[in-house]
Parts: sequence; structure tokens; C-alpha cells
Amino acid sequence: MNLSTRMIVVLTAVGLLSGSFLAIVGQVTKERIIFNKRHEIEMAALKVVPGASSVKMIYEERDFAVFEDRDEAGNLLGYALQAAGTGFQDKIVLEIGVNAELTTILGLTIIEQKETPGLGAKITSEEDFLRYWQNRDCTKELTLRKPPVEDPGALASNEVNAITGATISSRAVLNIVNEAIKKARQLQTEGKLSGIN
Amino acid sequence: MAQKTIRQEFFKGLWDENPVTRQLLGLCSVLAVSNAVINGIAMGLAVTFVLVFSALLVSLIRKIVPNQVRIASFIVIIASFVTIADRVLAAYFPQLSKAMGPYVPLIVVNCIILGRAEAFASKNKVGRAIIDALGMSAGYVLTLLLMGFIRELLGNRTFLGAQILGRWFEPWVVMLLPPGAFIMLGLIIAVSNLIDFKIKERQKQP
Repeated sequence: MNLSTRMIVVLTAVGLLSGSFLAIVGQVTKERIIFNKRHEIEMAALKVVPGASSVKMIYEERDFAVFEDRDEAGNLLGYALQAAGTGFQDKIVLEIGVNAELTTILGLTIIEQKETPGLGAKITSEEDFLRYWQNRDCTKELTLRKPPVEDPGALASNEVNAITGATISSRAVLNIVNEAIKKARQLQTEGKLSGIN
Repeated sequence: MAQKTIRQEFFKGLWDENPVTRQLLGLCSVLAVSNAVINGIAMGLAVTFVLVFSALLVSLIRKIVPNQVRIASFIVIIASFVTIADRVLAAYFPQLSKAMGPYVPLIVVNCIILGRAEAFASKNKVGRAIIDALGMSAGYVLTLLLMGFIRELLGNRTFLGAQILGRWFEPWVVMLLPPGAFIMLGLIIAVSNLIDFKIKERQKQP
């Protein structure tokens, strides 16, 4: 076999073998990867509405989705709104728990973010950020408290703490939440949410 | 040049030819993922997996592959193992996979792997190639862990996520950011050079 034929044969063989092997690995892991993504989002949807035991997606569009949270008896406890927006570095995806009347934010959790480690990434920290999002009044637009206060009780009912040194990330989260609440309200007036049962 | 013993072949990766502090290879990933120990462990395992298996395959086919297409075939082999590592992480360790971000796919262009395939595995028998790969991985992982440990401790007060320094210690946020990675890497290389220099000096004096 001359050199060029050998080169072609070897490269083709290497490519074919790798390709088919990868196809198998891809098939085996595909389902699990999709499952993980869904599982993560559903777990977050459960977490942001305290007491919920089941979630069901009832509305979906690009970068926005609504889940219904029900307790064991099947009563509607509230909704989990999945929303996304631009952060300091990249897209932030989060979920907000709201009560069925869309008047109170029950909780917040961050699903995806690539903010600066040690600064903006603190938006995922329970202690520094997320705990100040429990039971916020969202009938008005939410606002940022700057500089942050230690005691959640010292905040006005529609105020949340900013993170020192990461105002842009804090504001990004705030804007995503405000937008999401607006959208949910729109859906509610259009009768697209299942409403209070 | 005399053949090294198996032992020497392994331990050269830890010190004499440590991929990070001596050969300065794979620095991109070292700088990027060393801000927490857990990331270092995950990245280290992924690199070890890819390095060992590509060394195995490259060494196996070293006599079949014509010289002109060797780099191309090595890259295909490496890329395949990287893709496997990436998919498996995403399927079974989604949290880790998220923390690693784009750095797992980037192992493809990690110079340690192509460097060892080209400089060692393609010229040596399978067993020796695997030992070399294991040694190199160990050197890489240890450096990564050392950096991860210092950066996580100073930047976040934690070790593997558990807080070990009290509130009195004001975290050095810079340690978690890219500048901290460069400073730390520079210091580690400087210290290892200093130690190496002292060792060699002692060896000279009988």
C-alpha cells in the first residue's frame, strides 16, 4: 500500500470508529441528560413555593414558563415562574415562586448564571441574597435596597437587598423578576392561568 | 539515554516534569477551574480519563498511523474521549458538569494531552505510555488541588464548600477572580523552582 492510500485508510478508520462509538455514547446518555434538565427545573419549581408537592407546566414561551404548584390535596398553592434575562456576563435563568393571586413572592432560586465568582455569583447564595426574597409584596414594582441591611425585617415590603459590589447582577435579577411578574399578570388577565380553584 | 524505571516514569510527572509547574502546559484550564477544590477534582478526573485512554490508544496504533497524519488521528482520538467524558458528566453528575462549564470540551486543546501523545505515547510501548499518562495526570491534579485549596480558602473561607475560616477573616475576592489565579500560579511556580534549585544545589555538594 502506498503512503497516500495508507493515510486515507487510517484516517477514515479512526474517524469511523470514533464516530460510531460516540453515537453509542450519545444515545445512552441522551435521555438522562434531558431528564436531568427537566428534573432540575421541576425541583426548583417545587422549592420556590413552600409546601408544594407537585408541579405541572401550564404555559411556555421563549425564556419564560409558568408551573402550577399544588399541595398533596391538590390545592393550588401558587405558581413558579421560570424567567431569563441578561446578567453581567451571560444569561441568568431563575425561578420565582408566587402565590396564586400573584401578590406575594414566596421565594427565588437561580438556575443558571455565569456571574463573577465571589461577587455577582453571590446571587445564588442563600445567606447573602436569596433569603431576602421571601414574602415580598409584588403588587408594586420591586426595588433594590442599597446598601443592604442585615435584618430582613428592616426592608420595606417590596424591597430586596442588593449585593455589595455586585449592583449590576442584583439589578439584573430584580429586572427579570419584575418582568416575569408583569408577564404572569398579563396571562392571568387573559385567563391563561388556571386561576384560583 | 538509559531507559527510566517504571517508578521514575511515574514520578517524573509529579515533580521533574510536572505538566503545570515545569512544562507550563494546560495552564488555561488550571487558571480557570482552580477557584474551588471540587472543580479541581472534577477537572482532574476528566483530564486523567482522557489522558490515560488516549495514551493507550495512541500507543496501540503508533505503528499503523503514517507520520504525516499522526496529529490528525491523535486529535480525533482525544476529541472522542473528551466528548465521552463531557456527556457522562452531564448525564450522571449534572452539578459538576455545570460548574465546569465549557472547560470539559476544551480539554481537547489541553496541551498536556496532545503533548504527551506526541512526545511520549506515540514512541513508547502501551504499559509505559499508561504509566506516563498516570504520572502526568497525578502531577496535574495535585497542582490543581493545591491551587484550588489556597484560592477557595482565601477567596471564600471554605474547603470543599464547608466553611473553615470564621467571619473574622475578610475573604480576598481577588483570589476567586482571574488575577488571583495568575498570582497564585506564579507563586506556585516560583516556590517549586526555588525548591528544585535548593535540591540540585545540595546534590552538587557531596
